Amino acid sequence: MSVLFLFLLVIGFLMIGVPIAVSLGMSSILFLLIFSDTSLASIAQTMMQAFVGHFTLLAIPFFILASSFMSTGGVAQRIIRFSIACVGHLRGGLAISGVFACMMFAALSGSSPATVVAIGTIVIAAMRQAGYTKEFAAGVICNAGTLGILIPPSIVMVVYAAAVEVSVGRMFLAGVIPGLLAGLMLMVAIYVMARIKNMPKGEWKGWGEIGASFRDASWGLLLIVIIMVGIYGIPGVTGAFFTPTEAAAVSSVYAFFVACFIYRDMGPLAARDGQERKSILQAPQAIITAWFHEDTRKTLFEAGKLTVTLLFVIANALILKHVLTEEQIPQAVANAMLSAGFGPVMFLVVVNIILLIGGQFMEPSGLLVIVAPLVFPIAIELGIDPIHLGIIMVVNMEIGMITPPVGLNLFVTSGVAGMPMMSVVRAALPFLGVLFIFLIMITYIPAISTFLPNTIMGPELILK
Amino acid sequence: MQSKPSGGFIDTLEENLIAALLGAMTLLTFANVVARKGFNSNILWGLEATVFLFGWLVLLGASYAVKKGAHLGVDVMINGMSESRRRITGLIAIAVCIAFSFLLLKGSWDYWANFANLPKTEGRWFPLGFEDKFLAKGWYELDDIPHPSILKWMEDVFNEGESYNKMPRMIPYIVLPISSALLLLRFVQAGISVWKGESDRIVASHEVEDEIDEARAQIGD
Repeated sequence: MSVLFLFLLVIGFLMIGVPIAVSLGMSSILFLLIFSDTSLASIAQTMMQAFVGHFTLLAIPFFILASSFMSTGGVAQRIIRFSIACVGHLRGGLAISGVFACMMFAALSGSSPATVVAIGTIVIAAMRQAGYTKEFAAGVICNAGTLGILIPPSIVMVVYAAAVEVSVGRMFLAGVIPGLLAGLMLMVAIYVMARIKNMPKGEWKGWGEIGASFRDASWGLLLIVIIMVGIYGIPGVTGAFFTPTEAAAVSSVYAFFVACFIYRDMGPLAARDGQERKSILQAPQAIITAWFHEDTRKTLFEAGKLTVTLLFVIANALILKHVLTEEQIPQAVANAMLSAGFGPVMFLVVVNIILLIGGQFMEPSGLLVIVAPLVFPIAIELGIDPIHLGIIMVVNMEIGMITPPVGLNLFVTSGVAGMPMMSVVRAALPFLGVLFIFLIMITYIPAISTFLPNTIMGPELILK
Repeated sequence: MQSKPSGGFIDTLEENLIAALLGAMTLLTFANVVARKGFNSNILWGLEATVFLFGWLVLLGASYAVKKGAHLGVDVMINGMSESRRRITGLIAIAVCIAFSFLLLKGSWDYWANFANLPKTEGRWFPLGFEDKFLAKGWYELDDIPHPSILKWMEDVFNEGESYNKMPRMIPYIVLPISSALLLLRFVQAGISVWKGESDRIVASHEVEDEIDEARAQIGD
């Protein structure tokens, strides 16, 4: 079985510490050189085609950039203040605020680890001061952080949309209800635990604080409004303004303006050397200098570096996808599965298991590029909605991120909270249970994912 | 956690290039939205230029990421190994990477060469000299990006004096051979440093290692 050879090669390379991108690319090249008569030149062409031919993927660097501008500033702090004002007075309030803050930050950023770092660094410390155990704090943030890839905009969803050619707009809409639901389930679980264990609660600071903190945070939160209204328009009033990729570019320019000129956490007007933040009137030249300021350059570079590492994996995964399609492997797998008598239920269980195991070892977007085209034709054959399948895959990635032994978010949380990996694993376990129930709900109740996109954008046409 | 600090002229150059490419992509796309919505016009070549900038960003950035040990990978297995074994596995991993970038370099050259009126290499996977006869394809053009007038001289060199309407294809695609050559160079350098025992791996386990180090430092304060 030549295909088995291909996959063993990928796994073997990964295990000895070859970068994911090279493992995928090298296995594909070897496979093509041995089993087909493809030339190296056409592989190089496929590599370039990953960028030139996939307009959808272009949204990823822009979303990364927007979220980098947002996280350099004190946006996380402002969001946390707002969420504490809203729910901090409940029992276990600070933990619930942490989840709420993660949900809002997830709406500004498309990545889970980024969400954990931005919210976790602040909230975990605050929770310990308020008398929560370190373990509980870490467990909450570790799980809530996974919402980063489920609540739109989400990089993983863009990757799925590009890999199987469905609409990014639909995927984003489909993530809204599941995202809110998952957040709500976590909050309820925390509330129940807090009641039982009699955890501390904050004081109610009144509606004034809610209003004030909301006004402060609203500049950041407006980003999600720009994206959503830009992609979908206002129902009944106006149509869509731009494509998801353009929305991403507009939102990064917006995020730059907010960070430099409104919040003034970075750029020429920021507070430094003991000086207060400057107003634009005091230094009008900032309108020009902000574009070339050291902070701007640094944020662009950091976002660029992240783009490079992610997209290099995706480009190589696309070479592998190219190999798989050329060898008609998805069809072969589909036939094998169908002739084995797999129904939709069994099929989804298999998808769940593959992704949970794969998600342990690989960066979610790279894994998705490979697995999505493999299972997609089977799903269509079995009558599963492509958007629904996408959401299932995203939720699986979420759980993969917090499943021991090597979930990505576990690593990140253990770093952020400064505690050993094993205690984070134990701490995350109770909430992992909640997310598992959530996964089962998502898998077997398609309406949770498909209701919103079908209502707003009309039912989907499935082209075989 | 071997993210290496930046410094030095080449580092700065590469970092600025990464920042500039991403900035240019963003502004170009944004400007196109403004042109369409605000002025009812269109930067016709905007999209094509953006996707090529995108390709340049990732392909050129890939070699920078090798230098900084920033490529994503799995380090669970190598973390559990003894030091000497880790070194050997590291060297095997590097060998795979070097082979990969070498094959990619040959492929890139073969793909690009004819567009620049240069010969491809012979051989299926190892270059065995250059081909004698080939079809010069220097006249291939892009779809939308206009040919800048400073590059007028290219018409005499590559197109027998005939004028280019659009930018010739060899210009954006030159990034393929350049970036894979750089990639090869960086992997060889990484191999040398593992050989000397200065580092033991070329991968980072996730994308926020730097940020976590910062957070650790804050907790330590």
